[in-house]
Amino acid sequence: MTSGRLAVLSVVVALGALAAYVLLFRVTLVRNHPEGYVIAFVLATTLAALALVRARARRWPAWLALGLASLLLVGGAWFNFVLARVPDAPTVLRVGERSPDFTLPDAAGRPVSLADYRGKKPVVLVFYRGYW
Amino acid sequence: MAELQGLGAQLSEAERAGVEIVAVSPDPNERSQRLAEGLRLGYRFVADRDLAVARRYGLVHAGGGPDGQDVPRPATVVLDRDGAVRWFLVSRNFQVRPDPDDVLRAVRAL
Repeated sequence: MTSGRLAVLSVVVALGALAAYVLLFRVTLVRNHPEGYVIAFVLATTLAALALVRARARRWPAWLALGLASLLLVGGAWFNFVLARVPDAPTVLRVGERSPDFTLPDAAGRPVSLADYRGKKPVVLVFYRGYW
Repeated sequence: MAELQGLGAQLSEAERAGVEIVAVSPDPNERSQRLAEGLRLGYRFVADRDLAVARRYGLVHAGGGPDGQDVPRPATVVLDRDGAVRWFLVSRNFQVRPDPDDVLRAVRAL
């Protein structure tokens, strides 16, 4: 493959991986494998490096692709392996044991107690951060 | 909240009536409730503004928020009719949430 085509392919892989992750975040397989975009950025960086090696006269497309891919690789790896890491800590949850009771207000301000469901309904408790 | 959508979409109407999904977050919950109504999800959203409940459960990620505030560790817990824990998962990477299929399997096994 020519240097120019390799550079274009690198940009497509890098930006495509970014777009796919953002657009397909609702798909469990995509959401739960964030290392996928890091691997795609590694591939894009490799393609751009290859483009640079093969470049004869016009070197700027390869440099541009390499800049973009390596920036995404560093940013993506930092986000996935550093920023998004949730430190492990012991919880009070034990399978087979009751979880602690609580009473919290719902959207209308009415109190909701975990104890209210006991003997009536199973409960799925979802703790989430709020902003997605 | 991505995991909530998958879960709600996959529960049948009968199952939705037979299980209560309680979503706990420090979010001002009118926003959550509006979102749930938009998605037609029958969830109870409760506000844990000061993270007191998350703390009691050992589910606080200290300084994990975008502005360095404390936030809950994303977690899903399946409780049976007697309130006993049957299945739970705490995320180690905030991008990763339980697979709705795994949660459904735990709910259907009750």
